[in-house]
Amino acid sequence: MNVVVCVKQIPDPADPGALDPDTKTLKRDTKLILDESDSYGVEMALQLVDAAGGGEVTLVSMAPNNEVGGIRTALAMGAAKAILVSDDALQGSDALGTAKVLAAAIGRAEGTDLVITGTESTDGYTGTVPQQVAELLGLPSITFANHIEIGDGKAAVHRQTEHGYDECEVPLPAVVSVTAGVVEPRYPSFKGIMAAKSKPVDELGIADLGIDAAQVGWAGAGQEIVEIEPEPEREAGEIVEDEGDAHERIVAFLDELKVL
Amino acid sequence: MYKWSDEQVMLREAVRRFIEAEIVPHVDELEHGDLAPYDLLRKFFSTFGMDFMARDRFKRAIEKEKAIASGELPAEASTEEAEAEAMPTGDIMRDPNAVAFTMIPIIELCRHCPGMVTAMGVSMGLTGAAVMSKGTTAQKERWGLDLLTLEKIGAWAITEPNSGSDAFGSMQSTARRDGDEYILNGSKTFITNGPYADTIVFICKLDEGNPPAERKVLQFVLDKGMPGLEQSKPLRKMGLHSSPTGELFLSDVRVGKDRLLGGTEDQPAREASKDTFSMERTGVAAMALGIVERCLELCVDYAKNRVQFGQPIGEFQLIQLKLAKMEVARMNLQNMVFRFIETTASGESLTLAEASAMKLYSAQAAVEVALEAVQLFGGNGYMAEFRVEQLARDAKVLQIYAGTDEIQVSQIARSLLA
Ligand SMILES: Cc1cc2nc3c(=O)[nH]c(=O)nc-3n(C[C@H](O)[C@H](O)[C@H](O)COP(=O)(O)OP(=O)(O)OC[C@H]3O[C@@H](n4cnc5c(N)ncnc54)[C@H](O)[C@@H]3O)c2cc1C
Ligand SMILES: Cc1cc2nc3c(=O)[nH]c(=O)nc-3n(C[C@H](O)[C@H](O)[C@H](O)COP(=O)(O)OP(=O)(O)OC[C@H]3O[C@@H](n4cnc5c(N)ncnc54)[C@H](O)[C@@H]3O)c2cc1C
Repeated sequence: MNVVVCVKQIPDPADPGALDPDTKTLKRDTKLILDESDSYGVEMALQLVDAAGGGEVTLVSMAPNNEVGGIRTALAMGAAKAILVSDDALQGSDALGTAKVLAAAIGRAEGTDLVITGTESTDGYTGTVPQQVAELLGLPSITFANHIEIGDGKAAVHRQTEHGYDECEVPLPAVVSVTAGVVEPRYPSFKGIMAAKSKPVDELGIADLGIDAAQVGWAGAGQEIVEIEPEPEREAGEIVEDEGDAHERIVAFLDELKVL
Repeated sequence: MYKWSDEQVMLREAVRRFIEAEIVPHVDELEHGDLAPYDLLRKFFSTFGMDFMARDRFKRAIEKEKAIASGELPAEASTEEAEAEAMPTGDIMRDPNAVAFTMIPIIELCRHCPGMVTAMGVSMGLTGAAVMSKGTTAQKERWGLDLLTLEKIGAWAITEPNSGSDAFGSMQSTARRDGDEYILNGSKTFITNGPYADTIVFICKLDEGNPPAERKVLQFVLDKGMPGLEQSKPLRKMGLHSSPTGELFLSDVRVGKDRLLGGTEDQPAREASKDTFSMERTGVAAMALGIVERCLELCVDYAKNRVQFGQPIGEFQLIQLKLAKMEVARMNLQNMVFRFIETTASGESLTLAEASAMKLYSAQAAVEVALEAVQLFGGNGYMAEFRVEQLARDAKVLQIYAGTDEIQVSQIARSLLA
């Protein structure tokens, strides 16, 4: 059972990031960390490989400056190796551009039975990359998985819904996006951290993947960020002084908002 | 080494995340004696695979030892190397990361719970190391592994009501030969993990009717529940509540030679105990670093946010002086820890005098910083909610156990004047 997990490396959400006024995007020149949304996918993949009794987890990531901070964390958790795509030409890539790169990189991993992604990243959160990757690879795809069971050339997946879950089945290989919080990502063990340093990370540029620079980056982006402006200040709320009837006024207010 | 490596930072972050999620919510129970620290420590060990690593290392050390005994391996590799390998930290110690990985959990735990480090250090570090460095192969297999994995809790008992700093000189506990066996008597006090220990290393003198000063020092391994062995309830104390401390009473405890550590009376037990002192002392530098780092962090935050006379108290020069001194202490402690890591990784060990100098500085710095932290917090500093009062009470023990400040001074001076 070989699983590829797409892991995004993002600026630490604990450090307030800054926007680059020229590119109108988040500055990514600081150390990047593993997107928490993807730690669930890594955990799920490790559990599936464990349950299958063999195989390995390969990470695929696209990030600027050959950044490996987040990849090392996932390797320390137990993934076997990684493919990292980093290229100046990727600057400005939109979700589809990213998906093209990820799909090509996934193609590099051999004998893949399953591709796992998060449902949406913490910093970009378009939530579109997984389906685009599946389409580009010509693979079936299930989104919002909170449980995956592998058997006999297919995966039985619980797909989270508002009120419960759908039971779906998909032939392998497939692309499955995993919802946040459905498994408890393990802490990297002491041994895992020591071993992570020497696990192979295959660093590739777009030429290695046979991708044309015109298809990705600013050049290939089908979207343009026209303007960025600060979030509007929150307006002062209305203070309800309790003169014995506060509860009624709050109910009336909520009623007006149609939230009751 | 001038900063933590990427792997070390990764470990620190992971350990910190675990401690904040799994240990910090229990600090109040640990502080009030409602919870012994052992299950939390075991969870810490298993989460990070430390029990697994200990087991693995143990297996290799024992295999090697047996190969030497059977003549499959040359004996010259035996003594020191095999001993070093069997220590809790083990053969991996030539890698700075590996050494750092033993320091980081100490530093991180001490930010919240220095007592847990004491409980862990005495069980695995002192008791486990005593068995692993001086025990016979059979004794290592019988007690060593369980101590190194924290499966069993250990206590290491040298201090007595009338024998503290002068541990060997005034020691009154005795072993008397009785046929092939020994009869043990004596009381021990201030024994970390004493109330709950499963395995106890009991240090005493062989009474052959000769004057006490000439008696051999012997170490025996005891199990909880042996006839004649009584383990007291935890003693009430100033701080370090997450580390249970108690008394041991032995009246005519009968033991076979299988419990005599090393299997012979001709063990240099005094020297063995001195190695142990050296190890304990360097651990104190890491403990102090954790306490000081945490105090400084809390104080910087408080100094920025607490407003008096219309400005944050951090604007007052007297407060700035406190913060600056704390930062100096933090830097010094960190450098000492780095030095220890480098020295050990290069295969050398600190002399007893160096270890003493580190311990003396570290203990004093931790107490000074923690008391200044209480002062900087004002009335809040005196209240339990703001945590610095606990760290101040906990820090004080660093000047007392593992050799008092005064004993460190005399050891440093002795080496200077020799
Ligand atoms: C204007 C603009 C500029 C950009 N500039 C750069 C740049 O300079 N360098 C660069 O590397 N990227 C750049 N990106 C790409 C961007 O960071 C995202 O990777 C991409 O847009 C995916 O969108 P998302 O984060 O909304 O993914 P979502 O669809 O929300 O993510 C879902 C899942 O897809 C997978 N995934 C998404 N992105 C990645 C990734 N990068 N690597 C591995 N797995 C992933 C993860 O499993 C994730 O959980 C840029 C994007 C835009 C829109
Ligand atoms: C929380 C805690 C946990 C402990 N855990 C253990 C344990 O697990 N196992 C164990 O065996 N022991 C343990 N101890 C005991 C500890 O090691 C001793 O308390 C310590 O060695 C000091 O001995 P003492 O208490 O008898 O003080 P004393 O030796 O009586 O000292 C009293 C004072 O006299 C000073 N003094 C003594 N001799 C000299 C000298 N030559 N020159 C100058 N001043 C001197 C001392 O520095 C001190 O200030 C623990 C103690 C504490 C507080």
